[in-house]
Amino acid sequence: MFHLRIIAMAVRGLQQNLLRSLLATLGVVIGVGAVVSAVSILEGAQRDILGKFESLGADQVIMLNGTRQHGHRRSSVTSLEPEDADKVLQDNEGLIVAVSPQYGSAGQVKYYEKNAFVSVLGVVETYSEINQYFQVHGRGITREDVRGNAMVCVLGHGVAEDLFGALPAIGKPVKINGKTFIVVGVMEERGVMGFTNVDDQVTIPLSTAMRRMFGQKYLSVLVAQCVSAEKMTSCVEACKKSLRAAHRIRAGDEDDFTVFTQEQMKQQFAQVAMIFGIVLYSIAGISIVVGAIGIMNIMLVSVTERTREIGVRIAVGARRFDILKQFLVEASIISMFGGALGVVCGWAMSDFLSKFTQVLETYTPPSIIVIAMIMAGIVGIVSGIYPAIRASRLDPVQALRYE
Amino acid sequence: MIRAEQLHKHYQMGDSVVHALDGVDLSIKQGEFVAIIGASGSGKSTLMHLIGCLDRPTSGLLEINGELVSAMTEKQLAAARNSYLGFVFQTFNLINRTSALENVLVPLVYTRRAVQRATAKKALDRVGLLSRASHTPSEMSGGECQRVAIARAIVNSPRLLLADEPTGNLDTKTGDQIMQIFHELHAEGITIVLVTHEMDVAVQADRIISMRDGQIVEDTAVDQAQREQILIDAQSSFRKVFDQKAAARAKANDTDAHPKPEAAS
Repeated sequence: MFHLRIIAMAVRGLQQNLLRSLLATLGVVIGVGAVVSAVSILEGAQRDILGKFESLGADQVIMLNGTRQHGHRRSSVTSLEPEDADKVLQDNEGLIVAVSPQYGSAGQVKYYEKNAFVSVLGVVETYSEINQYFQVHGRGITREDVRGNAMVCVLGHGVAEDLFGALPAIGKPVKINGKTFIVVGVMEERGVMGFTNVDDQVTIPLSTAMRRMFGQKYLSVLVAQCVSAEKMTSCVEACKKSLRAAHRIRAGDEDDFTVFTQEQMKQQFAQVAMIFGIVLYSIAGISIVVGAIGIMNIMLVSVTERTREIGVRIAVGARRFDILKQFLVEASIISMFGGALGVVCGWAMSDFLSKFTQVLETYTPPSIIVIAMIMAGIVGIVSGIYPAIRASRLDPVQALRYE
Repeated sequence: MIRAEQLHKHYQMGDSVVHALDGVDLSIKQGEFVAIIGASGSGKSTLMHLIGCLDRPTSGLLEINGELVSAMTEKQLAAARNSYLGFVFQTFNLINRTSALENVLVPLVYTRRAVQRATAKKALDRVGLLSRASHTPSEMSGGECQRVAIARAIVNSPRLLLADEPTGNLDTKTGDQIMQIFHELHAEGITIVLVTHEMDVAVQADRIISMRDGQIVEDTAVDQAQREQILIDAQSSFRKVFDQKAAARAKANDTDAHPKPEAAS
C-alpha cells in the first residue's frame, strides 16, 4: 500500500511535466531500441548462417585450394587435382567412405527461347549420395557419364521449372554456355544447401565440366565423407596427410590447400559474429549511457525546481529516505517506460529491416525483453541515484526559503 | 509542552558567525496561543524552525513534549513533524499542479499507515474547502490556498500548530478569516505558536513574545483590556508619526510657497 502510494506519487510528479518526462525517456528509448535491434540482427544472421552450415553435414571434410606466401604477399593457388580424390579415398579406407570432387562455375542454360543463369557444377556419381540429394525424375550423374565425358546434365528443381514448366524435361536437349546437353534427370526441391541454392544449379559430369566446358585442370572443391562424425578429427588429419603426400609437400612447408569442417566454419563464424557483436553492443551501450545522462540531467533539474516541495515534504514528516525513494522511483519509471518503448521500437525496426532489405534475416529473442527491462531498471537507478541523494540531503530550512 | 533553556543557534556566513539565537529561555504550555514578534533578523523564524524540529540547536536545551530534541534520531524527528506538529507558511508552500485533496494527503503518505482519503476530506471540510478538493493551487485564491495549507497542517491531528507569518501574503479581510480558523483550532485545544510582525495579528494571541537580536526582550500575557490598550497605543504612536509627517509636509509646503531666492537652484 505504502509503496503503491510512492509509485502513484512519482507518476503524478512525472505527469506534472509530461513533455519533459517524455523527452527524458527518449535517450533510453533509443538506447534500448538499438540494443534490441542489434540483438535481433545478430541473432537472425547467426541463425541463418548456422542453418546453412548445418546443411553441410557434420561428418564431411571440405578441401579447398589454398593460399601461399610469396615474400610478404599471400595469393591463392590452385592445387587440387581429380587424382587427389582417389588418393584420399585409397589412403584412408575404413575412415573415409566416399569422396566427391567438384568443379563449379557460372553458366547460362537455354532451351529454345527460354534461358536461365545458373551455377554449373561438375560432379561424379558420389555427389548425390554424400549430400543425400536425389533426383525426382530420370537418373543422376553416373560413373559411366564421367568416364565417357558424356554431354548429359541433371537440372535443379527450379531450373527445370523455369525452362520446362510442367512439361517433362527428360531427354530434351538444352544448351549450356552454347554446348548441347541432354537432360537425364531433375533433382528434388531442396533450397539452400551449404552456400548455394541447389534448386538453381545444373550438374554435369566432372570430366565434361573440366575438359570440355571450362578447360580446367584443377578442382574447386573436394568433399570427403567421413565414416562417422565422432571420427572427424582423425579424418581431417588423414585428409591433410594424403594431400600433402600427393602434392609432394616437404615436412615443415605449409599446405597448399585448406581443409574445413562444419565445426570449424561454425567456430570461425562465431568469431566474426563476436566482433560484430562487440561493435554493435558498444554502439548500443554508448546510446544507453547517453540516455542515462539525459535522465540524470532531467532529474537534477527536477530536484532544483522542486526544492520547496522537498522542503515541505520534510516539514510534514518525510524522512530523507522517503525523498530519496521518491526521486529514485521517478527516475526508474522514466527509464522503464523508455525501456518498454525501446523494446517495441527495436523490434519494429529490425522487423522493418528484414522486410525492407529482404536479405537480412532478423530474429528477436523473447529473452531480450526481460534483459532490456532489467537494463532499463539499472539505468534508472544509476542515473537517479545522484539527483535523489542531492534531494534527500537538502536542508529543509533552506529548501523552504528557496525561490 | 515546549521548554527551552539557553538556546543558541549559530550560522556560519562566510567568515563571520551569525548568532541567530543567543540564549533563549522559553516555556510554552499545552493550550497556549503564543505570538512571536520581532523585526526580520530577530531570530523568530529560527526559533520556529527549532521548535518545528526542522533544525537542531547549536547549544542549549530544547524539550518538546518532554523529549530532548538533541537526543532524538532523524526518524523520531520526522515522526514528530508528521503527527505532533503542523506547519503553516507565509507562502502556503502547496505542491503545484496537484489538487487540494492531494496536497492535504501528503502528510498521510508519510504516516506509516494506510492512507485514508476520508481523513483528508474531513480536514478540508474543517477549513470549509471540501467543494474545492479537486482544484489545484493555481485555480485558488491566496486565502483558499492558505486554508488548504492549514488543512494539511491539521490532517494528522497535531497537538502543536506552528504558523510563520500566515497572513503575510494576504489582504486584511482574508487574513482575518485565517485568524478566525486559528482561533477555532485553539478553542479545540490545539497549541498555536504564530510568528508575525503585524501587531494587530499578534494581539490576538494570549501571550506575546518579542524578540530582538536573537534574544527574548519581552514575554507578556495579554488579556482583553491590554489587547485594546496595545491597539490604541499602536494607533496613537502611528498617529504621532503621522502628525509629525503631516507637520513636516505642511512646513515644506509653506517654504515652497515663499521660496528664498538663494535656495533656488
